[in-house]
Amino acid sequence: MSEFAQIVVSGVGPALPGVAGAGDLVTGPAPSAEPVDPAVLLGKKGLKYKDRATRLGLSAALAGLRDAGLRDEDGPPAVGDRVGVVVACNYGNVETICRVVTTIAAETTRGTSPMDSPNASSNIIASEIAIRFGLRGPNLTVCNGDASGLDALHWAASMLRAGRAEQILVVGVEPDHETVRKLVGADRIVDGAVAVVLERAETARARGARVGARLGGYARAGGVEECARRLGCLSPDTPGGWYVPEVVGDTELPAGLLAGVPRHAMPDVWGSLSGALGVVQCAAAVARFDAGEAGPFYALAGREDDGVAGLLLLAPGDPR
Amino acid sequence: MSWPITGIGALASIGRDPDELFESLCGGRSGLAPLRGFDSAKFKAGHLFEIDDRPAPGADVPGRATRFLLDAVGQAARDAGLGEDLSDVPVLIGTGLRELRSLELWWRDGAEFAAERMHFGTALRERFGAVNTHTFSNACSASLYALALAVDQLESGAAEHVIVAGADSITESMFGLTDAFQLQPPGRLRPFDVNRKGTILGEGAGAIVLSRGADGHRRIYGRVRSVGVNCDAYHTTAPDRAGVAAAIRQAHERAGVKPGNVDLVMLHGTGTPLNDEVEVRAMCDVFGEHAKVPLVTAIKSMTGHTAGSAGVLSVITALQAMSTGRIPPVTELDEPTEEVRALRLVHTTAATGHIDVAQINGFGFGGLNAVAIVEAVR
Repeated sequence: MSEFAQIVVSGVGPALPGVAGAGDLVTGPAPSAEPVDPAVLLGKKGLKYKDRATRLGLSAALAGLRDAGLRDEDGPPAVGDRVGVVVACNYGNVETICRVVTTIAAETTRGTSPMDSPNASSNIIASEIAIRFGLRGPNLTVCNGDASGLDALHWAASMLRAGRAEQILVVGVEPDHETVRKLVGADRIVDGAVAVVLERAETARARGARVGARLGGYARAGGVEECARRLGCLSPDTPGGWYVPEVVGDTELPAGLLAGVPRHAMPDVWGSLSGALGVVQCAAAVARFDAGEAGPFYALAGREDDGVAGLLLLAPGDPR
Repeated sequence: MSWPITGIGALASIGRDPDELFESLCGGRSGLAPLRGFDSAKFKAGHLFEIDDRPAPGADVPGRATRFLLDAVGQAARDAGLGEDLSDVPVLIGTGLRELRSLELWWRDGAEFAAERMHFGTALRERFGAVNTHTFSNACSASLYALALAVDQLESGAAEHVIVAGADSITESMFGLTDAFQLQPPGRLRPFDVNRKGTILGEGAGAIVLSRGADGHRRIYGRVRSVGVNCDAYHTTAPDRAGVAAAIRQAHERAGVKPGNVDLVMLHGTGTPLNDEVEVRAMCDVFGEHAKVPLVTAIKSMTGHTAGSAGVLSVITALQAMSTGRIPPVTELDEPTEEVRALRLVHTTAATGHIDVAQINGFGFGGLNAVAIVEAVR
């Protein structure tokens, strides 16, 4: 419960197009990235009437829990009371909401389907993950725009430090749909999810969990430069790479910012990642540590007319 | 540890600020009124608890939830002496429906709306220069969940002040889906009545400023002792008695209070058959022989179910009950359920009482439970 408790990543579960394993987060997805098929990953049981975002979120959650050793093939160890869920997602229920108002306009409320009722709620993904995997800890849905993924990691870490859970499953997810494309003004949306399991370092050590990265600190600022500067105050070393925001207001990133530090953007084939971005950045940094890179990595996400979030990611053995 | 509340702000169908709202609640005034922003031909129900702010009757406009939020946050920040510059103050917002009403108007009517307005950060940046803003979509316990996260921030020393807010306007999709599956419109929102027929949506926003210290503030409204949060992991829509009871126990344990110490409980009390029954049974499970110790009440018969803002509005009501000794009643109650007779329910007319410790319940769709404990400053 110490305020200085170190928070580590103890599991990663991708459910992203063209990604077979976490290593693909370094090399990038296969060029002919097939859509994620949740029925293959989860089995068909219990998926009827669940929307695309919930199915994607459930797929990533299962992969993440398995990777963290919190669930084996046969079922879960009895840990649910102390495991929480944080989901980052902006557009999960957009298609349901828009379709329902179209139906009401044409047919009054008598035309609506009871199956849409749960899916109209923005927290459906997080609550369905909790129900399917029996996770009774804190359950939070972050709908905070482009910074949502990094913010979700921050709030998960904060709840772990406050002793509210032993592990927290953080899931970033955005579904692709014509309605969402129109709203966002993008050619496509990632239509995928990724899960990251966080816990206190001593908890991971005590249960012999494999640690993939350590969270070195979080910052919030009005712009990308200020946010990067604040991360620099947390770690004096030049980063080994930085993950750039998806959209930075209407401005390009300043060329001189973190000069010489490799910039990592998400591959074009995925389209917009929106709320999922920060969690994918974290998972990708873990994959780079696994591949032997030393880091540290900066992850930045957000908009300069809103707020920019930054997360410092350290290698598991990094002494800082 | 406990954290002083140094500013409050609120609005709902029955009041434009915390004092007006509290007077309405104590007077048993209801905000239920004929539909203002929806086409009555499309719905069986003809009434909601809307805030009456639309430029013309029958015509809805985008951005109302955002305006409610900015109003409440502005009130609370002024009250706490923070002014209009919140560039250094985290703002944590709990909401059920974000700006999904604006999304609907954009989709159906071509109203002006952009994706980055679905959450509240962009508007808070414009108005207050705030850059550390967080929109949590945690259904009907959202603002109490936000309060839990704010308490954690103060405990870790990460912030000097944190603003916790809740805001919701009614969406056509949520209203419509509820309308379709209530066999008859409930007519009235009647928590804990044997003939209760379901909930009715309302609109509102509330905000409180939490500070690390009380120095330099005009007024301390009370102190937040703890917030317990969990998830039933039980059912998509139905609440679970064990999960609700666990959240109440967690709040008590974190606050270091016992059931016998609690003077007032602000119940969630939505008027749905299932919520009210499960909530009362869980209360009895936890309070046991002390079930008749606290006064219990709820505000939704007068404000409607204001979704994500309901929790913070109940916190503000509890703070005012502490300072005035007046406890608003549950209204619209003709015949209390057998179960609720085990509790000291304030109903029909306001009561008086000396409140030192209050518990605030908030339970959301998907089994999201949050329970706060606040104490008076004497």
